[in-house]
Amino acid sequence: MMKKRTLPVFLLTAALAAGALWCPSMHLEAASHPDADVVLRVCNWEEYIDLGDWDEEETIDLESGDIIGENSMVEDFEEWYYETYGKKVAVEYSTFGTNEDLYNMLTLGDVYDLVCPSEYMFMKLMAEKMVVPLSDGFFDEEDENNYYTRGLSPYIRRVFDESEIGGEPWSRYAAGYMWGVTGIVYNPEVVSREDASSWGVLNNPAYRRQVTIKDNVRDSYFAAVGAIKKDLLTSEAFREDPDYHLKLQDEMNDVSPRTIAAVQDWLQSVKDNAYSFETDSGKADMITGKVVANYQWSGDAVYTMDQADEDDYTLNFAVPMESTNIYFDGWVMLKAGIEQDPAKQQAAEAFINFCSRPDNVIRNMYYIGYTSVITGGEDDTRVFEYADWCYGAEEDEEETLDYPLGYFFVDDNENEDYILTVPAEQADRQLAAQYPAEDVLERSSIMVYFDASVSESINQMWINVRCFNIKKVPVWAWILAAAALSGIAAFLYKNRKRTYKL
Amino acid sequence: MTALRFSRKNLALPYALFLLVFVAAPLLVLFYYAFTNGQGHFTLGNLTGFFTDPNTLGTLCYSFAIAAVTTLVCLLIAYPTAYILANSRFKQKSVLVMLFIMPMWINFSLRITALKEILTLIEGNLAMFPFFNAVIGMTYDFLPFMILPIYTTLSKMDRSLIEAAKDLGADEKAAFLKITLPLSVPGIVSGVSMVFLPAMTNYVVLDMLYNSTYIMGSLIGSYFSAYNWHGGSMIALILLAIICIFTLLTSGMEEEDSRAMGGARL
Repeated sequence: MMKKRTLPVFLLTAALAAGALWCPSMHLEAASHPDADVVLRVCNWEEYIDLGDWDEEETIDLESGDIIGENSMVEDFEEWYYETYGKKVAVEYSTFGTNEDLYNMLTLGDVYDLVCPSEYMFMKLMAEKMVVPLSDGFFDEEDENNYYTRGLSPYIRRVFDESEIGGEPWSRYAAGYMWGVTGIVYNPEVVSREDASSWGVLNNPAYRRQVTIKDNVRDSYFAAVGAIKKDLLTSEAFREDPDYHLKLQDEMNDVSPRTIAAVQDWLQSVKDNAYSFETDSGKADMITGKVVANYQWSGDAVYTMDQADEDDYTLNFAVPMESTNIYFDGWVMLKAGIEQDPAKQQAAEAFINFCSRPDNVIRNMYYIGYTSVITGGEDDTRVFEYADWCYGAEEDEEETLDYPLGYFFVDDNENEDYILTVPAEQADRQLAAQYPAEDVLERSSIMVYFDASVSESINQMWINVRCFNIKKVPVWAWILAAAALSGIAAFLYKNRKRTYKL
Repeated sequence: MTALRFSRKNLALPYALFLLVFVAAPLLVLFYYAFTNGQGHFTLGNLTGFFTDPNTLGTLCYSFAIAAVTTLVCLLIAYPTAYILANSRFKQKSVLVMLFIMPMWINFSLRITALKEILTLIEGNLAMFPFFNAVIGMTYDFLPFMILPIYTTLSKMDRSLIEAAKDLGADEKAAFLKITLPLSVPGIVSGVSMVFLPAMTNYVVLDMLYNSTYIMGSLIGSYFSAYNWHGGSMIALILLAIICIFTLLTSGMEEEDSRAMGGARL
């Protein structure tokens, strides 16, 4: 069983405060880091990297050696960079809350060298020519410091090579960091596995006012499309179509006016049925039992289930049968920052490589709960060992299950070296969220970036869902309002007259 | 003497500067965005759009309803409280007042989080009563703003007026209705304006208490996060217009009433 550190709030606060302090000093970097050869400005998601300072007992004791986070990943990088390249780098590390926030920060003039948005946002940055391509040297597998290209999962490499925007593959500009799928965390005592395995659980009247959905237009849109097209998406004819994957991608990214209208109706029914649209309370409400099912990203799902386990409360994870949104967070280098100094590009790529070194990958995964795109390659099996360390069955476990992960580690799901033997329940629990099975990924779809006019109509649809429609005001409310208004008017009038008399 | 006058004038400078930078300039920007479209051309589309869209109009009504009910509930609780406070024989009145103000010292979101847990205990499932919860949350948050001004007006009131009324044969009820209540109107008015207007926009309470329907504040926010600064600015401006109308109506009343109070004193 995996035991993850609960991230103390003050660390987040400290990171935020540090971020805030660093912002104004951005243009004074030379002055603030007099002894550094390169200053690298990194902006990443909040709580998305190992900040170090682990307890002794948290040591991950793999057979190939212990792994523990003593210092923050950023400090370790600065040290490693000096040892490896003989140059001093100073990293200015700051964080952002949402992709849209990051984009707003960039358009308002904040300058960073390396940022880590989700795929649709780095697609937008690519489309708007705001990013610099990764160098050829970065993909040189001969260089032993190129941990990224040497250790990248073949599955992820294919996605990054085959997904394109504006005729260019993602892999030319973006290096993956974490990835996952979306699904439903549910309480198995109340919600059946079958119910949870459909986006329809969100407006299922059986769980009225007991499910939460994300307060986020893109995630909600995806779930809605999945629910609306359930019959098509789960039909055998569609599943067995030779172009299944391409067609699935098209269906899930359908933004025709008819679909947008249908999504609005569906989300309206969710609003009338769900507990709430949550921004951050979903995990806590799931653990305290306020809700019985919750739309989650897989990394947060792992965290939620871990927390529940500590309270001896069991939560499961299910991936809807219609389709799941596979997402990637990736590093991209920004033109505005990198172009000022070529040495920055080398440092930025080194930072990506350092975060991709298997022991660092494990530290990050342990600390944040998400899944790295890195496998470590066939020579370095520590990442797989770590998965076994987390989920592998004990000798005396009664019901076990073989869980093949070859598709992710070596592009071959039959490979016997990459089959985990895990407690049977793990097929519905943390493991299923951290490393989804191959059949789950078969039905996964990327949600692309929509251009301005489409975004506008989807955003408007979202606002319409959240507003109170005036047509819903009942007649008695109108009468009451009219009575109240005339009462106030009469009072004002009377009051006026009385004072004039005096 | 002239030096003193000169320096006094200068004392106003920081505030004038503040007004210029943080009030006047943003307002101009607001006006610019509200009356232009994406291409920077002048348009009234944002204005007409707001008043023809059943969703935005509905949100305005919903915000009005929440704010009106909250204000009413606050008034019904605050008036008797302030009345008792003002008339209490307890020597250390300030201690009593302090007790009512104390909740305001605790962080707002902490208080609402606590309220959330208490309401969950009572109601079972918060999401069943979104409107009711929003009103409770707002009332909890804004009650001191209603108590204070009413208490201040009541305690400043000239007691001899009531004695005079009683001498002239008024019973308790008549003295209250004809003297105390009318004289406390300025307090009520400023209490109402301190509760009603913020209650129309304070969407954090709704968010935290799981009410997923937008009110004016969240509506403005949603326009901005969808990169539609023009629509958002227009809604902010409309809200500003509502506030102005409200203030004009009530300030008229307040003036008249203070004149009335002065007149009565004479």
